Formats: sequence, structure tokens, C-alpha cells
Amino acid sequence: MSSQLETSFVKQLQENQNLIHKICRLYTNSEDAHKDLFQEITIQLWKAFPQFRGDSKFTTWAYRVGLNTAITLYRKKTKTISTIEFDNKLHKIDQDEYNYEEEEHIKLLYQAVQQLNDIEKALVFMYLEDKDYSEIAETLGISEVNARVKMNRIKGKLKNILNP
Amino acid sequence: MEELDLLKKDWKKNQDKFPRVSEKEIYAMLHKNSTSVVKWIFLISICEFAFFLALTLLLSDNSNTQMVESYLSQYAIYGITVIDYGIMVYFFCQFYINYKKITTTDQVKNLMANILKTRKTVSNYIFVKIGFVITLFIILFIIYFNNEPQILALRHDAEEHGKIAMLYLIYFAAVVIFIIVIAFVIWLFYKLIYGMLLKRLIKNYNELKKIDL
Repeated sequence: MSSQLETSFVKQLQENQNLIHKICRLYTNSEDAHKDLFQEITIQLWKAFPQFRGDSKFTTWAYRVGLNTAITLYRKKTKTISTIEFDNKLHKIDQDEYNYEEEEHIKLLYQAVQQLNDIEKALVFMYLEDKDYSEIAETLGISEVNARVKMNRIKGKLKNILNP
Repeated sequence: MEELDLLKKDWKKNQDKFPRVSEKEIYAMLHKNSTSVVKWIFLISICEFAFFLALTLLLSDNSNTQMVESYLSQYAIYGITVIDYGIMVYFFCQFYINYKKITTTDQVKNLMANILKTRKTVSNYIFVKIGFVITLFIILFIIYFNNEPQILALRHDAEEHGKIAMLYLIYFAAVVIFIIVIAFVIWLFYKLIYGMLLKRLIKNYNELKKIDL
């Protein structure tokens, strides 16, 4: 038996699931862990859904809950070993636009991002999602100026990881 | 082009390439159990309150307790009971209020702060409770030492043989060792459980605080 609330939730989540996949992509590095985190975020979203009033967009609201789950609530079951295969699987390459050098570089970039800590990943995630600094600052609970400063430091850190 | 912008280009290009999760699978997920830290903290906290409540109830019927209580006046026993339950009710209410403030739609930093605060309430309860028990214990030991016929006989005996200092030493050493052992066990329990549960959260919280320094 599924209530109306449940149906509406499942439908919206199904439509916007990429958002959760993207969070999982940054915070996990194996297929199992990805699924596990996806499930936990889904559960947390569902728990918080009765408070979602629809005055903000489903995605904006889901961002918050998703990030909070990944950074704060989620407990990794076991230490997962990084599997590059999974990364490759997610990173399907269209043969016609295959550019070996660029693909290699991007792969290294993803691996560098994986080495950042949870908070830095959150900043990177929101940056990749085109969020402006005021929103990044608001979501994390830090000041806008410091969000900018931190972002610049992360860029520097990534450069160092890539060119040691 | 800057590294992150290169990544952004790729991020956007590939954002639809994740394996799709079907509605049916999402329905199934809704009925699975959460593994969230908050859930664990809540369960463990409830267990802690329940444990101390059970301990208080069990001890009040114990013959040893009744023997100890015979040294105290009825008023003192009432007083101790009222304070004991008062402490418990106060901390439980605090715990509940803080727990209710935990919401996943909050700012990341607030959420973390609220979780830590909730946890802190329970550990404060434990410390206050332990402090209370230890104080009572010391008072009782002193009363016991001065009133229990067996001890008095032993003291009398020791005095005759000039070993009273030795007796004092042994008696108080035993009390101190007993308290240290209890404290160590509690400390270990906390280190293990909360170390495991909160290590990552505390690390992330400190990291977030550091940004605003």
C-alpha cells in the first residue's frame, strides 16, 4: 500500500535522481558504496519529506539533505577500496569524441578530488553544480568571503596533487 | 583552462550517464533501515538512560542497599532519591529538546553542532550521575567506617597492635582503586563507542569551523 505522499515523493525523486548520483559519485568510490549512500540519502529525504512544503524547488531542498547525509549522517559500512573500474564504467566515452589525453587528465582530476576531505568535496560539488558563493556559504554555514578563500585553496590543493 | 572548470565541463557532459534507479527500487529503499549516526546516537542514548534507571530501581531493593540505608536518616534517603530522579528527568528533557532540533534540512554546520550537542547532553548526564554516585559512595564509606561493628572491631584490634595507620591506608587505597577502576571502564566504553561513531563527524565539524577562523 502506498500513500499519495509516497507516490509523489517517489515520482519526484525518480525524476531528480541524478542529483543524488552526483553526490554519491564524489563521496564514494565503489559501486556498492555508491548504492549504499544512494539508499541512505533516499531514506533521509523520505524522512524529511513531510516538512518539504514546496516553497523551494525539490532539487534545492534535496541538495541540502543529500549533502548533510553524505557529510554528517552516513556511516561507511566498511572501508572500500578504490575501484578504478567503477570510475571507468561511469565515465563512458563516446568513441567519436575520444580524446585520449583529455580523458586521462580528467580521470586524474577525479582521482585528485577523491583525495580531498568531506568538506572540501562539498565545496567542489557545489562549484561543479554552478552554485554561487552565497548559496555555498549558506548551505555549509560559513561566511561567503571564507567560502571564496577556501575554494581558492582547494584549487591550489588540487594543482599540488596533480603536479607534485 | 583551470582544472576545476575542465572538470565541470566533463561533469555536465556526463551527468545523465548514471545507471537509472527505477521507481520500484526507490519504493523498496523507503522501507529499508537507515544506518545514520543520528539513529545510533539516539538508540545508545536511550539505552544509557534506561540502564541507569534500571540500576537505580534494582539497587533500591537490594539487601546491601538496605543495610547502607539503615545508617542514613529517612530524610536523607528521600533527598537522595529526589535529586537522583531530578537529575535524570532534567537531562532527559534536555536530550529530547536537542534531539528534536536535529534536522537534515539545516545548514551543514548547524546540523553537526546539534548532533554533538545532543550527544553532549547524554555524556554530561553520565558524568553528573557518576559524580553523584561517587560523592555518595565516599560519604557512605566514611559512615560505614565509623559505624559498622566489624570495622570498629578491626580498628580496635589494629589500634592495640599499633597498626591503625596501616588500616587507614588499606581501607582508603581500596576505595580509591575501586573508583579508578569504575572510571576507567566508563572512559573506555566512551572512547570505543563514540570514537567509532563520532570520529568522522567531529573531524568534519572542526574542518568547517576552521574555514571561518
